[in-house]
Formats: sequence, structure tokens, C-alpha cells
Amino acid sequence: MSVETLQSTFEMHQSMNVEVFYWWCTAIMFMIHAGFLAYEIGASRVKNALTSGMKNILTLSVIIPTFYFFGWWIYNAFPNGLIPTDASAALPWSLSMGPDVKDMGTGIFFAAFALFGATTGSILSGAVIERIRLSAFLILAAVLGSAVWILAGAWGWHPDGWMLKDLGYHDVGASGVVHAVAGFFALGVLMNLGARVGKFKDGVAMYIPPHNLPMSLIGLMMIIVGFFGFLGGCIIFNGGDTGWTTIYGNPTNLSAFAFNTLMGFAGGVLGAYMTSREPFWTMSGGLGGIISVAAGLDLYYPGLAFVLAASGGALMPMIGRLVDKLGVDDAVGAIAVHAFCGVYGVVLVGVFCAGYPNVGDLPPISLSGQLTAAVIMALTGFIPGWGISFVMKKMNALRVPPEVEVLGLDLVEIPAKPYPETVPAYAVVENTLQPGQEKQLV
Amino acid sequence: MSSPITTWEGASAVFTFADSPMGIAISLAAAVGIYLYLNLSIMKHEKDSFDKHK
Repeated sequence: MSVETLQSTFEMHQSMNVEVFYWWCTAIMFMIHAGFLAYEIGASRVKNALTSGMKNILTLSVIIPTFYFFGWWIYNAFPNGLIPTDASAALPWSLSMGPDVKDMGTGIFFAAFALFGATTGSILSGAVIERIRLSAFLILAAVLGSAVWILAGAWGWHPDGWMLKDLGYHDVGASGVVHAVAGFFALGVLMNLGARVGKFKDGVAMYIPPHNLPMSLIGLMMIIVGFFGFLGGCIIFNGGDTGWTTIYGNPTNLSAFAFNTLMGFAGGVLGAYMTSREPFWTMSGGLGGIISVAAGLDLYYPGLAFVLAASGGALMPMIGRLVDKLGVDDAVGAIAVHAFCGVYGVVLVGVFCAGYPNVGDLPPISLSGQLTAAVIMALTGFIPGWGISFVMKKMNALRVPPEVEVLGLDLVEIPAKPYPETVPAYAVVENTLQPGQEKQLV
Repeated sequence: MSSPITTWEGASAVFTFADSPMGIAISLAAAVGIYLYLNLSIMKHEKDSFDKHK
């Protein structure tokens, strides 16, 4: 066999390995959505369990096609800011956007990014359960998952993104571009959506217990499993002799991610347990811990990652209580887990990794750059989330009617019962009815 | 015929209608249409369901 043939064979297998890697990252990321499905169903009351599940299933199925229609193009067209550059190969009618026997990259990267987008939709989904209209939610999810976060991604999670070029931005595990953006988008929506009926009494937050906490805990653990696909998808598998790099081009490897993902998970769980003693927050601490260190997964000493994750996990329940005190009803703690820990993760890189070089002539990582970037990420999420939901609210298209909320969304919208022979959901709702309302139940 | 190729020799983009802008346009328009119809159908379902339980 000639050297040329050997080289050609090697390059083909290398390209196939790239595809195989991202294929399985994408598959594992579906576990995030299985987790969110269980998490949100469990966090809902019995009367809303299936509606929460339907919302989660449809989130994926709406974000995937809209990401194909315009999301992938946004990522490729907007690295310079708000003026698009030529990215015609990413338009849905381009020959690159379909099966091409000579293109072993576009489809697999599109898939990974579409699933990142779907994660943002699921982050929003949990926060707004039990009172948002499904129609309004799916529009908001498509805007967030296929436009807003990926615009932030083009700016700060792209080899040519202006935030990398001007600020030296470093966010390898997407603390900012996914979690902070989605968390602040959710905050904007929650401010217009309002609290669930009964959540606040005389301004004091009441505890609305999940109907199936064990299911929520299992769901959270499934999300952690999915995170390994998510974070694997954040690393670039290069051809040639380059090896692994971050999305910013600096060398790294899966070993670095493995050290700090595990230490981040453990630190977050322990931190959250120490300040809450509560299973929902403790398990959420695993997510919060990973998100707190995700931006610097490639650089942290694992002992430091553990400490930083523990601090993020410990602060997270406090942020959750603060959100309650401010009168915002975040049903699953998404603001604390994603908005807070996402911003926290971006800032921590500025504190502990300032001075690390970027490749070429790009500016080094700096605290000022990371602080600026954290504000940009928060505003990029918050402004459209608040603005679009405000318009929906004015059109009376955001929230279900109060009588429907009291009855429960499952009874009104879903032609099925979650637990027909075990938990009598119908009877549970019936007991909450006012005299005369029974006739409404069909 | 939806095939853009007659041989696998030198083939690149091989998906249906790759050589037919009209085929791509119709397929894409139908896909967007399904997405838009989904939103309208959910709005209608919500209105009907909510009206029934007023």
C-alpha cells in the first residue's frame, strides 16, 4: 500500500471519528431532555403533570426544525455583531444543509448545536410550568432556542466571534451562552407571566410541593448524564495533527473536561446540601456546580473547580429564596441554577484565569472582559424574553385563564390522565372546586 | 425523478431535489407550513378548551 493510500485511509477514518464523536454527543444530549421531562412532570402538581410533559416533548420538536430554518444560519452569519456576514452555506436551501457524501461535518455540527438550543428551551420550560399557554411557550422556546442563544453563541462561542476578538472571552462549557442567556430569558418571561395562583399570600412565598419529588430527582440525575454529551459537544475534534481544542482554538482534551466536570458536580451537590438540606436543591446543586465551572473546564485545577462549584451550589438555594422574596415564581429554580450559576461561571473565569493567553493575536482572558461579557449575556437573554412576553401579555396570549389554572391544565387541554388507577387526579381536582363547578368537568 | 445523480462516481450532494431548486423550495415551504400550522392549531385547541371550561 502506498504512502498516499495510507494517508487517504487515515484521513477518512479521522473524519469518520469526528462524526462518530459528535453523533454520540448528540445522542447523549437527548438524555438532558428525558431528564427535563421527568423533572418537570415531577415538579408539577398532579393536575398539570401531563401538560408539563407535553410542553417538554414539543419543545424539542419545535426547536429542531426552527434551528434548521434559521438557527444555524444565525450562528454562521453574526459573529461580528448585528450585521450579518455571508453565510449562505448555512441557509436551509443550501446544498450543504442535507446529505452530502463529501461533507462529514456540517450535519453533525448542526445536530449538536440544535440540541444545545433545545436545552435552552427546556431551561425556560421548567420555570413557567402550570400557568403558561402552550402556544405562547412554544413561540418563546423557538425564539430562545433558535435565535437568541445562538446569536450569543455567534458572538461568544465562535472562533471569529467579536467577544473573543475584543474581550478575550472564555466560556468553553457555555456557562454564559447557554445557561445565563436562557436563565435571564426565563426571568424576563416570568416577570410578565406572574406567579401561579396561591404561590404568594400577603406577599409571602408559599411552598407548592412537587407531586412526585423522586421523579424530579431522577430527572435531574438524567440531565447530569446528558451533560456529558453536552460538554463533549463543546470541545472541537480537529483533523490533522491538531488534536482536541476548545471552540476558541486553544489546546485542551477530554481529560481536562473529565477532571473538572466530575469535581464540579460533586462540589455543587455538597455546597447545595450544606445550605439547603433539601433534596430538590441538593440534586440541582450538581447542575449548578457544573455550570459554575463550565466556562473554565479546560483551565481550572480540579481542587479549585470543586471549591468554586461548592460555592456556586451553596449560593444557589439562597438565590432561589431571593427570587421568591422578589415575588418571582420560578417553579423549578431555573433562575438560581442557570441564570445565577451561568453568570457566576463566566465571572469566575475572569477572577481565576485572568492572564491566560488566547491563540494568535487575540486578547488574553481578563476580569474586565469576563464581567463585560457576563452583562452582555444577561441582557441578551433578558431583553427579548421580557419584551416578547410583554407583547404576548398585552395581547392576552401569554397565560391561561385563571379558572383553567384552578381546574388544572390536564383536565382542560389533555385528552389523557396521568395516573388513572393509582392517584385519582380527577378527585384531587374535584376537591378544590367551588360549588357548581363540578358540571364543568366532562 | 427526485434523484440529483445518475452515478455515485464523483457524487457530492445526493439528497432528493439537490439539483432542483423548485423541489427544495416546495419541501421547505411545506416544512415551514407544518410548523406554522402547529402553532395555529394549538391556539385553536386552547381557545376551544378554555371556552368549554369557562
